[in-house]
Amino acid sequence: MQILAEAEDLPKTANIKTQLISLWTAPVFGVVLLIAFLAFPGFFPPMSPDMTAEQVARFYSDHTAMIRFSMITFNLCGVMLLPFFMVIVIQMKRMATQSHIFAYCYLTAAVSGATLFALADIFYLTAAFRPDRSPELVMLLNDMAWMIFIAPVGAFVAMNLLLGLAVFFDNGPNPVFPRWVGYYAIGTALAIAPAASAAVFATGPLAWNGVVSFWLRNGAFALFVIVMFVVLRNVLHRQAVEEGVAR
Amino acid sequence: MGDFVAHTEQTAGEFDTAAASSVSSTDGQRGVHLPGDVHMWVMVLGDLIIFGAYFIIFMVYRAMKPQEFLTSQEHLNINIGVLNTLVLLASSWFIARSVQAARADDHTQALRLTYFGGLCGVAFTAIKAYEWSTKIAQGYTISSNDFFMFYYMLTGVHLFHVSLGLLILGITVRELRNPRRRRPFMVESGATYWHMVDLLWIVIFALLYVMR
Amino acid sequence: MSSTISAQTSQSAKVADNGRTPRAGKRDVWLVFWIVPAFYTAFGVIFFALARVMPPPRPDVTTDQMVHFFHAHGLTIKIGFGVLVLIVGGAGVANGIVVYHMKRMTVGSVMAYAYLGSMSIGALPGCLLVAFCFLTAVYRPGRDRQVLALLYDLGLLSYVGSLGCFTTAYFAFAVAILYDRNNIFPKWLAYVSVWQIVTEVLAVPVFVSKAGPFAWNGSIAFWMGTVIFGFWLSCVIVFLMKANERQPVDEPPLD
Repeated sequence: MQILAEAEDLPKTANIKTQLISLWTAPVFGVVLLIAFLAFPGFFPPMSPDMTAEQVARFYSDHTAMIRFSMITFNLCGVMLLPFFMVIVIQMKRMATQSHIFAYCYLTAAVSGATLFALADIFYLTAAFRPDRSPELVMLLNDMAWMIFIAPVGAFVAMNLLLGLAVFFDNGPNPVFPRWVGYYAIGTALAIAPAASAAVFATGPLAWNGVVSFWLRNGAFALFVIVMFVVLRNVLHRQAVEEGVAR
Repeated sequence: MGDFVAHTEQTAGEFDTAAASSVSSTDGQRGVHLPGDVHMWVMVLGDLIIFGAYFIIFMVYRAMKPQEFLTSQEHLNINIGVLNTLVLLASSWFIARSVQAARADDHTQALRLTYFGGLCGVAFTAIKAYEWSTKIAQGYTISSNDFFMFYYMLTGVHLFHVSLGLLILGITVRELRNPRRRRPFMVESGATYWHMVDLLWIVIFALLYVMR
Repeated sequence: MSSTISAQTSQSAKVADNGRTPRAGKRDVWLVFWIVPAFYTAFGVIFFALARVMPPPRPDVTTDQMVHFFHAHGLTIKIGFGVLVLIVGGAGVANGIVVYHMKRMTVGSVMAYAYLGSMSIGALPGCLLVAFCFLTAVYRPGRDRQVLALLYDLGLLSYVGSLGCFTTAYFAFAVAILYDRNNIFPKWLAYVSVWQIVTEVLAVPVFVSKAGPFAWNGSIAFWMGTVIFGFWLSCVIVFLMKANERQPVDEPPLD
């Protein structure tokens, strides 16, 4: 994006620049989080709810270092994805033919969803903190960690439904997002929603280690960030050009 | 949003005054010119105080377990430490020369020197990553003992400052490439921060690698 | 959104000071402002004196000692954290007034929303989880000792070890200040926020270390973090006050 000379010091340019910074935190920290994801010894394959307390306790004592490295990284860097979603809020507020209520609901949903994401790693880390803790209690912490990581999809489902609705309502002459983004958001919501049942099922594809609740859910989320990064780059560029900030 | 444009025009004047004030002491009497701006100096001095506290705490724990610290220190590769120190000193030299070039309005040279300085910073990071991976492969991790926890944490937070420094050098590069800007205080601020990063490393090197 | 002069506000601002120069800033913003130091004072009393979480009790203790901690401080934990649960809305207020002034900057709203979001996230693992772990621990006498030890660890690890939410908030705050032309906050406050990020990074070892400077009660991971936080918070309160004073009384309401 080539910022125009005359626009350099204007507030609307700073608006574009801060959005660009927020946008780019996604790939930068996305890579870091991906490394943390790959590093966690309990994701390949994902730990089974069937494991006995002894097996869980042994897992934590055998792999303490990598568990800590991975979860500390999630702890420190996970919330850095939030500014990316705030760019979506800003863009939803630019939609001309609606009241922006979807944008505010999106904002609050994003915050509540991210809160649970921020909570999950604390449980993994507490489980790994004392090797001499009773295996039953380690399993308790592990159960809560997995449930809090996988099952709370409601906020992200709501966010995507809201984004979809907003795109469909944005039917003036100059829509912010291309229309397919609305369908994609709804599709993502549908792909992620079944993972809520990980809180209930202990076996099968809907359990927290199952193909639907683990791989589909996390894959759909990662894909959403990647796709929306590209979309938002274009949207921001268009905004900059429209507002006379860039060429 | 439109209301703020008026506000901005008002405060843009303020902004220029602020920029001017950092160099205005060179007008009139040949007084002391504070390179860069006050804000960066707050950052640098505060950071030095904070790191100073970390160093003092390191010394306290070293005094409590001198034998453990001495034997652990032997596992550090002092050659890599020296290499890193030289790399960072070189980068500071490049940056200092780039400030001189910028003041002399030789912006192409200033830009080139900033790139070299940044490259040294990248080299430092790569060498540090290599050093950490060899240590971890040898079994010296953050939880090995107190010394190694200090080692990883001090070099780690220093590395965080190096990456911030690279970001700041990037901003300096953008400043120098833009013919409408090239404000001296921006270049100087960036250099001030970078020199602080270098200074911190020298102390860390001395405490962790050298001091017996 | 045309500018509206709030005649009523400027009127009452003039009347309020009995003929002296009217204090600048808006009355509703001042009202909210004073909640901030009041809340944090109460927070300090609760966390230092009552709940005994600042400084935190040691990680390198036996289960017996953890059980003893809860027995010894059961009453003050109940009072302190019970009150916290009632007044924790003050944290929302403190975050809200910062967001308000961030929105008066010339950088658009994305960083304000990121700050709002991250600080809101932080309230749960970083403040309330320890309250509920400890309240649960002292709720029933005779709870299993190992369970009490779990609540002790979980509460304190989450309290000292919630790092990312605040890191993101300080990042958003720093970026917004550095790009802002209205000089709502001074630029060096952005750098103080960067120090805050440094203290978060230095708290990473609390998940590993049970004693020494990097434990959850350690001189580096806890004490230095708390001192720098105290400094940051004081600066923020002072500059909120200055931002209030400098705000023109007739500035139109924010979008």
